[in-house]
Amino acid sequence: MRESTIMQLQYGTAVLALGLVTVHLLMQGVLVPYGEAVSFQHVLSVYRNVVDGALLEVLLIVVLAHGFNGLRIILLEWRQSAGWTRGVNSMVLLVTLAAISYGTRTVILAATGQVT
Amino acid sequence: MGGEELVLRIQRFDPSLEKHPHLERYAVPLNDGMTVLDALLYAKDRLDHGIAMRFSCRMASCGSCGMKINGRPRLACETQLADLRSSTVTVQPMDNFPIVRDLVVDLESFFSKHRAVSPHLVRKGDPQEQESPTGEYLVTPQELDSLVQFTYCIKCGLCSSSCPTSSTDSLFPGPQALAQEYRYLQDPRDEAGDERLDLVDTEHGVWRCHFAGTCSAVCPKGVDPALGIQLLKRHIMAARSPFRRRKPKASSGARVFPNPNEDLLKRP
Repeated sequence: MRESTIMQLQYGTAVLALGLVTVHLLMQGVLVPYGEAVSFQHVLSVYRNVVDGALLEVLLIVVLAHGFNGLRIILLEWRQSAGWTRGVNSMVLLVTLAAISYGTRTVILAATGQVT
Repeated sequence: MGGEELVLRIQRFDPSLEKHPHLERYAVPLNDGMTVLDALLYAKDRLDHGIAMRFSCRMASCGSCGMKINGRPRLACETQLADLRSSTVTVQPMDNFPIVRDLVVDLESFFSKHRAVSPHLVRKGDPQEQESPTGEYLVTPQELDSLVQFTYCIKCGLCSSSCPTSSTDSLFPGPQALAQEYRYLQDPRDEAGDERLDLVDTEHGVWRCHFAGTCSAVCPKGVDPALGIQLLKRHIMAARSPFRRRKPKASSGARVFPNPNEDLLKRP
């Protein structure tokens, strides 16, 4: 993938994350009182709502993609060699996919009622 | 200023003999209109012949005397001592380059990065036309406006020495090379097109600029490399976006205008 394509994703996810985090925070402390928002049963109910659950899944993907690509950029600027560049690119991609998979698993388990 | 003295602190370092650089102090008499280069030359001529430094034109044209003066990258020849408003002036070699000796740095990496972006017009047309042009390749005033400031670059290296990315990423082309890349990309006579974008659209290329803007702040010729880099990014985004409607036109193509003096040239 071209670096310009990756950077388009980086800028796109930054804008998306701003919007999604704003909505998320509104749901956590403004639209719903904070004490209620973080109660276990309320959190589960959020996951079970299709729209809210989907929003959390998108937020997970957007934030992880943006954050890990930022980490990749820092690591690339830290050291320079073909091996390091290849290694960082591969490792960051793997870790990002693993983190997204793990987070998605949580979303699915909560949304399908396998967590009570 | 007559009769006053300036304390000039010069960083001395010979990598073949020493492990670390050190500062040496020289007392230099101040004169009206004296520049840092004048003070350095006084110290070299009268106090210590061993001071190593580069200079040539003494008029901010050649870009040889770039150095760090009181912590800021500047040209020694155009920096007036009076403007520094300090009785002590510290002169050190530019950052981000290996030191050859004292104030002299190795600019090989700087010039190789400059060469790497093909800092010349690339033409793909008829070689015969290039050898014997049938007319003039004109640039409109508007087209010239979009690139002219980048042609003022004197390749002094001050921008790269102040760049935070250049200090950590040795493969980053640096502000000078990237601004030159934009300058040729904008030139309507250049036909390199996507090949130019490939040179800088890489993991260590144009995207590693974080827009600190120090390059533009220190440029002695008023060039704004940071602007060139951002415009270069915008051009690449537009050219390579999957959502683009049409390819941006970096150049309006070569337009050959008949030479108005052609008749004169043909006369025996």
